[in-house]
Amino acid sequence: MLVGEGLGDLGVVESPLVVGVRPPHGVSSAESGCAPRFAAQLGILGCGRGGECVSAVTSCPAASAISLGLRPRHCHPCLHHVEVIVVTTKEVQKVLNSETKMKLDIVCIPDDADMGTVDSLRHIHQKIKTDVLVLSCDLITDVSLHEVVDLFRAHDATLSMLMKKAHEPTEVVPGQKGKTKPVEQRDFIGVDDTGKRLLFMANEADLDEELVIKRSILQKHPRMHIRTGLVDAHLYCLKKYVVDFLVENRSFTSIRSELIPYLVRKQFSSPESLQQGQDNKEREQKRKDQKALDIYSFIKEDSMLEFGSGKSCWNNHRGDMNEAFPGGKVRCYVHIMKGGLCYRVNTLGLYIEANRQVRSRVNLACGTRARVCVHRDHFVTHTPPVGSDNIMGSSTQVGEKTSIKHSVIGSSCTIKDKVKITNCIVMNSVTVEEGCSLQNSVLCHNAVIEKGADIKDCLIGSGQRLEPKGEQREDGLRRSNLQKGLLLFQSIWL
Amino acid sequence: MAARGSAGKRGAGSGGSRGPDPQEEPPPPLQAVLVADSFNRRFFPISKDRPRALLPLANVAMIDYTLEFLTATGVEETFVFCCWKSAEIKEHLQKSKWCRRTSPNTLRFVTSDLYRSLGDVLRDVDAKSLVRSDFILVSGDVVSNINVSKALEEHRLRRKQDKNVSVMTMIFKESSPGHRARCQEDDIILAMDGATNRVLHYQRTQGLKRFRFPMSLFQSNIEEVQVRHDLLDCRISICSPQVAELFTDNFDYQTLDDFVRGLLVNEEVLGNQIHMHATAEEYGAHVSNLLMYEAVCSDIIRRWVYPMTPEMNFTDDKTQSYTHSRHNIYRGAEVSLGQGSVLEENVLIGQGTVIGSKCTIINSVIGQNCKIGDKVILDRAFLWNDVRIADDVEIRQSIICNEADVKKGVKLNSHCVLTSLVVVGPNITLPEGTVISLHPPDEEEDDDDQFSDDSGVNKEESKAKLKGYNEAEVGAEGRGYLWKAEDENEVEVEEEEEQRQSLWGPALDLGEESETESDLSLGSEQPDSRYVSPQLDDVKVFQNEVLGTLQRGEEENVSCDNLVLEINSLKYAYNIGMKEVMQVLSKVVLEFPLRQLDTETDPQRYCVLLIPLLKNWTPVFKNYIKRASDHLDALYAIEEFFLEHEKLCTSLAKVLMTFYQLEILAEEMILSWFSRQDTSEKGRQLRKNQRLQKFIQWLEEAEEESSEGDQD
Repeated sequence: MLVGEGLGDLGVVESPLVVGVRPPHGVSSAESGCAPRFAAQLGILGCGRGGECVSAVTSCPAASAISLGLRPRHCHPCLHHVEVIVVTTKEVQKVLNSETKMKLDIVCIPDDADMGTVDSLRHIHQKIKTDVLVLSCDLITDVSLHEVVDLFRAHDATLSMLMKKAHEPTEVVPGQKGKTKPVEQRDFIGVDDTGKRLLFMANEADLDEELVIKRSILQKHPRMHIRTGLVDAHLYCLKKYVVDFLVENRSFTSIRSELIPYLVRKQFSSPESLQQGQDNKEREQKRKDQKALDIYSFIKEDSMLEFGSGKSCWNNHRGDMNEAFPGGKVRCYVHIMKGGLCYRVNTLGLYIEANRQVRSRVNLACGTRARVCVHRDHFVTHTPPVGSDNIMGSSTQVGEKTSIKHSVIGSSCTIKDKVKITNCIVMNSVTVEEGCSLQNSVLCHNAVIEKGADIKDCLIGSGQRLEPKGEQREDGLRRSNLQKGLLLFQSIWL
Repeated sequence: MAARGSAGKRGAGSGGSRGPDPQEEPPPPLQAVLVADSFNRRFFPISKDRPRALLPLANVAMIDYTLEFLTATGVEETFVFCCWKSAEIKEHLQKSKWCRRTSPNTLRFVTSDLYRSLGDVLRDVDAKSLVRSDFILVSGDVVSNINVSKALEEHRLRRKQDKNVSVMTMIFKESSPGHRARCQEDDIILAMDGATNRVLHYQRTQGLKRFRFPMSLFQSNIEEVQVRHDLLDCRISICSPQVAELFTDNFDYQTLDDFVRGLLVNEEVLGNQIHMHATAEEYGAHVSNLLMYEAVCSDIIRRWVYPMTPEMNFTDDKTQSYTHSRHNIYRGAEVSLGQGSVLEENVLIGQGTVIGSKCTIINSVIGQNCKIGDKVILDRAFLWNDVRIADDVEIRQSIICNEADVKKGVKLNSHCVLTSLVVVGPNITLPEGTVISLHPPDEEEDDDDQFSDDSGVNKEESKAKLKGYNEAEVGAEGRGYLWKAEDENEVEVEEEEEQRQSLWGPALDLGEESETESDLSLGSEQPDSRYVSPQLDDVKVFQNEVLGTLQRGEEENVSCDNLVLEINSLKYAYNIGMKEVMQVLSKVVLEFPLRQLDTETDPQRYCVLLIPLLKNWTPVFKNYIKRASDHLDALYAIEEFFLEHEKLCTSLAKVLMTFYQLEILAEEMILSWFSRQDTSEKGRQLRKNQRLQKFIQWLEEAEEESSEGDQD
């Protein structure tokens, strides 16, 4: 649980888990004005089973990430009373219960059920009483969440989401040969001139030779910026009616690849014409049953709000005096992070990268805290050989003449004398015997490294024991270990 | 103005050049190529009397605006390329201030009757090596106050840094969709690299509902591609001498559009790039049709093109001095305004014009020495010089050229054009879109050799008839020919629509279409709607193929079996369902005689022509009409045909009778079709046709008889 430990200490992550959002009380987007009333009702931590995770190895990291998020020092100022719903499996629940201080409502899903995020939402929809913020458990970020939520409130949006620039992998991922990065399908994201309104979204896989943009969109937003190097952070603010819609419309299985593109598309189909076609619609509904369900039929009219916006001279665009939110009733917004930390830990590579980044930001983020983030129970037998860019868990013992650089060490580890650790992630209760050299590797819980091991670019599974003098280079786990290791991972899979 | 000019020159001077040592050598004087010809006939018949470049915009010829723009931006040498009516243009310019010795901008005329396109002009520029360095390319109908020097600086910097990769910088004005200076036919959509202003994709919208961008735009290392629909193409471009060379290399390039498209497509091969410069504050537009003429004119009067406003008298012409007063009222010298006449706003009145009493004039331009009678209403009227307007005339959104005469009590609706010396009236109302010229429309062909346009269509149209003036069209004392096709048959009616459209240009339509379009994508997901459209096309292609097959069958006496075989293979080739085959076949056969008929008003002849065809092709029909549903499909197709051609309705009964007699259609199917309830209003009307009723009655009786016979 080291990353979590580290971040928990940091409070880096300004409680990214938040959240439940009430509809805006006024059209004003002034954050401070809204904050006191923003006693958010509900939050969800959609902790997926990691269906997108690349390998079973990431299960551990995922757990870490959870704990990382759940130990926030300060909640975001806006969100004083946040109710968080965590959807997870039993094993994680145990961990969470022991570790967190936050008020959580944990919903368990059966271990064997393969539920996506949408299924999870459907599962808990009775608990969702207001607008909701959904995020996945593998998100590590220091974005100030109000950016996303403010967009949502200021524009009375149907959806607001977070995106960031994709990062390039810099170093070799242990256990993988070379930099064989899977060729990902690029997403084409079209935003308007302000960079906030989400106008267009398509995946490379769905397009043939060309990208098609409708004229009507360009007439309303004549300048569209199409960007490709963006990654969805899987953090969504959704209106309550979207959840209702999902509950009714069983054909959606994924937020990312189905719901979001659907909503983005629906922005530019006008509700008026829908009403004209209502008769047809009804017929269709009978025919196609659920398939014809439309998001518009779920939009709830708030007469008070409408009355208010009619009286106000404020509107969400410049250049004319039209009503506050001209055009369709569905509006999607996106906040694109310019800098800062944002990782979705869904591959081992990203997990390592995230650890690295968190480490390097420790000092920046903690401000008044000690420069070296060493837990107070940390026990060093002799001169502290620990560099400034490490994170150490509690009750870890470090022997003499040992040097640790650029690494994260978990709690209750024992590191003996003359050990060299560079660029490593060492989880809890790991024992490293004398004279070992660890480089660019990941050691999972309870691993034992016997004397004199020389390890580079390796991935050591939970509870593995490396024989003395064994030399491991470049090839990941030893063949026998590899398989065993993987099996072990699966058995402790969250 | 002077400050602007000198700033322009400074800007021009600070950039580098292509010389061996750009730091030392001062850049060569800025040159411009002005193409005083549009190489199309959008302004016909107006431009028959006067070249487009000399048409007055707020009483000043268009080309003067263009030259003023070039001079103000620091151009020192301008090549004026003339073709159509080149002598007139030359004469006009030689009298103007541009040809005085004090002019900072030297004009050089290049005239040739051989130019067919902009491409020819630029090839000539290259052949004569007229330009020494980067030059500005404009057409003679550009009105602008853009200071190009900044764009020029950027252009030169880019060329210095990237080793002449960038060959051209296009200048755009930012204006949101629906801006009135954006006419639909010149509407463009552009994709550019947000960081470098490089143009990646350039396309005219042409009323398309969806724009397609090839994926290759997004492959390269461009972080952000901007798709821009907020740009107005000012038709001003900064070109390097390479542009002229490229035109020479690619002799098929006709227009600048060809050039841009060719360059973007071959970018990877040739490595040439186009960049853009967008200006938000300044004004730029080019007068490509009458709608734009109107828009630009009113922009000038509303002072958007400052400092080129009427009272500035930038042409330095004594007859063009105006006073400017509140509500943008400009008055020339010796203007007299009768008692009770009101100039509401945005009115320009030229020297020596006399206006009678109790007139109301708003948003209008009136030329010099016009005579306007009493109680005249002018709203968005553009009167050129020496126009005479009698009492009680009402003119809305129309153009009246030099020395035209509008008699008493005439009313001109929107989009009318009276060209030079035309007389209309008295007491006549011209419908919307009337164009009257002294040139008969069929005269066109005579001097047509230099245009390759499609206007020869009106040619055959009754030459003899138009020798005299038609009183119904131009009034009792009128002189002039209506430029309008006679509405004899449908094809030409469409043609007329096109002409009106082409003269005024299509208006910008906003909003509405987006609604209808969203209908499309409402219920169905996008891929679905995409799937639908090609299928429709297939049916159409299939129909044409069937038509061709039958025609050949008719001409070469192909046997019906072979026809069936061919249609079957077509059916598989285009993946057409049985039902569509039925509909298409019926439709094609029924339409077949129409091509031999001049008009479709004569049902008798139609039947005479159709019946032998039906007899010939009975086996074909029998092959396809087997099941009950086939019978009904065929009947619906027949019904549809007759609904479309109402004049032939009377022959419906006879056609059905023939089908029945040939045993193609069964009587009970005809009866069940006839008794169908859920038809449209028109369908019901069709069924009320007397002969049809008789026929049905006869059928019913026959059926009863036969059934009785069966019982026996």
